Amino acid sequence: MIKKSKIFEVYETQLGRRNILLTKNLVKGVSVYGERLFNQDGEEYREWVSNKSKLAAAILKGCPNTGIRKDDVVLYLGAASGTTASHVSDIVGENGFVFALDFAPRVVRDLVFVCEKRKNMAPLLEDANNPESYKDKISKEVDIVYQDVAQKNQAQIFLKNCDMFLKKEGYALLALKARSVDVSAKPSVIFKKVREEISKKLIIIDERKLEPFEMDHCMFVCKKK
Amino acid sequence: MADKKFIDFYKKNLEETKRKIKASVTDDLLIVQIINNIDDLNKIINILAKDLREWYSYYNPEFSKEIQDHARFVELILSGKDKKIKQSMGAELSKEDLKPIFNLAKKIKDVFEFRDEQEICLEKMMKKVMPNATAVAGSVIGARLLQHAGSLKRLIMLPSSTVQLLGAEKALFRHIKSGSKCPKYGVLHEHPLIMKANRKDHGKIARALADKISIAARVDYFKGKFIGDELIKGLEERFG
Repeated sequence: MIKKSKIFEVYETQLGRRNILLTKNLVKGVSVYGERLFNQDGEEYREWVSNKSKLAAAILKGCPNTGIRKDDVVLYLGAASGTTASHVSDIVGENGFVFALDFAPRVVRDLVFVCEKRKNMAPLLEDANNPESYKDKISKEVDIVYQDVAQKNQAQIFLKNCDMFLKKEGYALLALKARSVDVSAKPSVIFKKVREEISKKLIIIDERKLEPFEMDHCMFVCKKK
Repeated sequence: MADKKFIDFYKKNLEETKRKIKASVTDDLLIVQIINNIDDLNKIINILAKDLREWYSYYNPEFSKEIQDHARFVELILSGKDKKIKQSMGAELSKEDLKPIFNLAKKIKDVFEFRDEQEICLEKMMKKVMPNATAVAGSVIGARLLQHAGSLKRLIMLPSSTVQLLGAEKALFRHIKSGSKCPKYGVLHEHPLIMKANRKDHGKIARALADKISIAARVDYFKGKFIGDELIKGLEERFG
């Protein structure tokens, strides 16, 4: 039995003992990364695999609000092959739009195939560190910024992009990988540092550690002042 | 889609991204693919040769024990020089039983030949793309360095101390995390200059070699003159 979850446009169901998340499939009959499809009342749902997607992991860990709603325009930094990005594109629906950005040509090659099927997703082969280079290629203001890049200066990239593109009172989500900031330091120390850095410019609404789905990761949900 | 603006974004970005991906394929990426392929072929050869020895040993265990080198072992079996000694403890197998064993040996020989072909291809490409670095490091080590760095552009942007330790990441991070001994070299270990030298000079040579490889790779990237022979000559005078 598939029913609505607390998060907008995200559904959940019981499968055996486990709770799994689902989103309504925008492109009928197509599975993006080998996930299972479910049918109910003429609607098709895609399983949102929490081991592969940090956003799903954060929701399962009890994140009360991701801020992503129907018809939103999302700037997705670090889209990779489009695993999480495809679910975000499910959530925003036909009238929303996702700008999926990644730096490595190899993964963008897979992303292009996903985008060709989804008309509300555009691939960009750009460096998130350098927002000037793609500011003409995306809309002036976006409702959501989602970032999942494994770079040393993740927090600075995040703030730069929020500064340039995020609308007032828009939500920003940061999936922080402590190990790519510093391999030898303790994750909790890094989380603290980043928290201080972000809270200067944004209001932090929620902070979730993603264990056991991802080690040493933390999801920050913020709002622009 | 309701908004016409987004259709424009969609079309333009999709087109531009496709164009960029097309332009992103360079010769150094092809080299990385070839060296990956050679590594895999080596793995396959090892697995198959182990199978062959296990199987063949029922028939002639003494011969399998005597010849340790896989390539020579396969060669001798196929040319029929695998004579059984009189007091052999191997079983007498009929021709029909031996047939699949020989077929396997034939296939392994094919893989050996295929690997050598790929190595020749690699050397040709390395000489074309990175003539200086190939002169200093050799084609296989040069390609390994590329493999670890990802691309030529990233390799030339690395400091030479990092080049020295490429391929020793596990030991390096163990050193950083828990303070064990720092590694002296990664893939450079296989270089003839280091192989020949005294144990105590290994670190010194690896450092000097990494310097010269860095210089050579940078010259290659910017398509400069050929200075590889000078660089290797200097090293040989110092350490040879």
